[in-house]
Amino acid sequence: MSAMALPRFALDTDRRAIAGVCAGIARALGVDLTLVRLVFAVLGLAGGAGILLYLALWAYARARRIWLTVLLAFVSGALVLGAIGLSGSGILGIALVGVGLWLALRRGRSLRPDAPVSYWGLGLAAVGVAIAVPGGTPTLLAPAAVAAALVLLVGPWLWRLVLERDAERAARVRSDERSDVAARVHDSVLQTLALIQRHAQEPQRVSALARRQERELRGWLYGDLPHGNGASSLEAALSTTAADVEEVHGVRVELASAGDCPVDDGVEAVVLAAREAMTNAAKFAGVEEIDVYAEVTEDTVAVFVRDRGSGFDRAAVPGDRRGIVESIEGRLERVGGRATIASTPGEGTEVELRLPRSAS
Amino acid sequence: MKPRIVLVDDHTLFLAGVRAELGDSVEVVGTAGSVAEAVPLIKELDPDVVLLDVHLPDGGGDAVINAVAPDRPGVRFLALSVSDAAEDVIAVIRAGARGYVTKTISGEELAQAIERVRSGDAVFSPRLAGFALDAFRAGERVGGDAELNELTPREREVLQLIARGYMYKEIAARLHLSVKTVESHVSNVLRKLQLSTRHELTRWATQHRLV
Repeated sequence: MSAMALPRFALDTDRRAIAGVCAGIARALGVDLTLVRLVFAVLGLAGGAGILLYLALWAYARARRIWLTVLLAFVSGALVLGAIGLSGSGILGIALVGVGLWLALRRGRSLRPDAPVSYWGLGLAAVGVAIAVPGGTPTLLAPAAVAAALVLLVGPWLWRLVLERDAERAARVRSDERSDVAARVHDSVLQTLALIQRHAQEPQRVSALARRQERELRGWLYGDLPHGNGASSLEAALSTTAADVEEVHGVRVELASAGDCPVDDGVEAVVLAAREAMTNAAKFAGVEEIDVYAEVTEDTVAVFVRDRGSGFDRAAVPGDRRGIVESIEGRLERVGGRATIASTPGEGTEVELRLPRSAS
Repeated sequence: MKPRIVLVDDHTLFLAGVRAELGDSVEVVGTAGSVAEAVPLIKELDPDVVLLDVHLPDGGGDAVINAVAPDRPGVRFLALSVSDAAEDVIAVIRAGARGYVTKTISGEELAQAIERVRSGDAVFSPRLAGFALDAFRAGERVGGDAELNELTPREREVLQLIARGYMYKEIAARLHLSVKTVESHVSNVLRKLQLSTRHELTRWATQHRLV
């Protein structure tokens, strides 16, 4: 834990009116300069205490004469107390309390919370209270002095607790993040690397694995894809689908998109139909690459699945092959969309899936 | 004559792979792994085409283009990346790259793309075409300087076909155009992407990432 930063006092000669004491205080405490000057002016009216205090601080800053400063400050404090009508013994008592507390905390030469407390100082402060209270001091003052003493003693300790708690929380957040990354890398990258080693002899499978991993990692890094299978947008869902097809069939799927939209029942049907189209292309077209393009406008969702493969003649496809009719055309019709399949033997196939957005 | 190219990429494995895949179709005159290395090298070698990674250890690919282009206006840049973050891609394109392809491209296609970039045409991968369509549409919704910020129906058609995976030749056949015309449409789109002063484009790209 780092030490508490105490305000450092030095003359501020850039903004000085006399010697820069007020400006220095304002800077050290981060308060308004005018306010500090006002306080000194008011104290100056209290039997000249403000002037003495000013001199005391000036002596401290210029000559580092600590005893002179303390002496002047005491006299100045006594003047203030006298000005508000305290008796001599009251002033003496309060002075003793002040010195005692100062001694109590001075051990370790600082107000750092972990510096040990001097019991001599505490004793002196207690004596001070004992003198001040019966000395005709206003009754409020004694409890106030005790309260001030408590604040001085307990305050730094509380402060330390708060700082420690913040540091702990930050450390916990960091370590949570680290374990999250570790878990993610373990579940994805390391698994994939292991798989790649096992399948080193099958270049297609290796490259499909690598591409899937790349897609996942990129999705995670750039936040394009939601984690896991709960795809929330058309693009994310198509991306997951494409990765699956790549992995299962060892093809490459190039996915491009313009616009995106949330997944509802209609869009889900489009994604499933696109998956069927990709699978067909991977299985029958004899190509290494499939292009998928998704376009979302205000009124339409359109997905194109294209390959440059062998193509087919629709009339020659046996009637018992349900893939196209059921999984693509039927699926789209049921949600109010339309599928168009254009294929030329020898040149390739393109499946176009269209869904009006109002219907979805 | 074979195009003289410089490869800028910090992944040495990938550099070696590209070199092997391109084989004899190009002359690789130099390679660099960072912005600091690439800038003086390109200025010195004055190659026809620079294949540029979008991400380098000490900056983006756009930093290389910005540093080189004023001194060597003849050098053409082709961005090559696995990065799909839209704003990164748009940044290199706006800096002046004449195209963007992904690293999964085959050697043969890459050689074609280099040739196309060398002759001053643009190369749009399906992905970039999708980005461009999306960006221009976002701009049209907001309105603005129509001349520069909108695509003509033909340009949009061409971009859509590129996004769907069609090659220039196939697009030309489908739209009954010449390949040259298709190329000039694509170059026009590139110019619009590069010249558009509209903030929308950048904003779109940033938003896109958050979708």
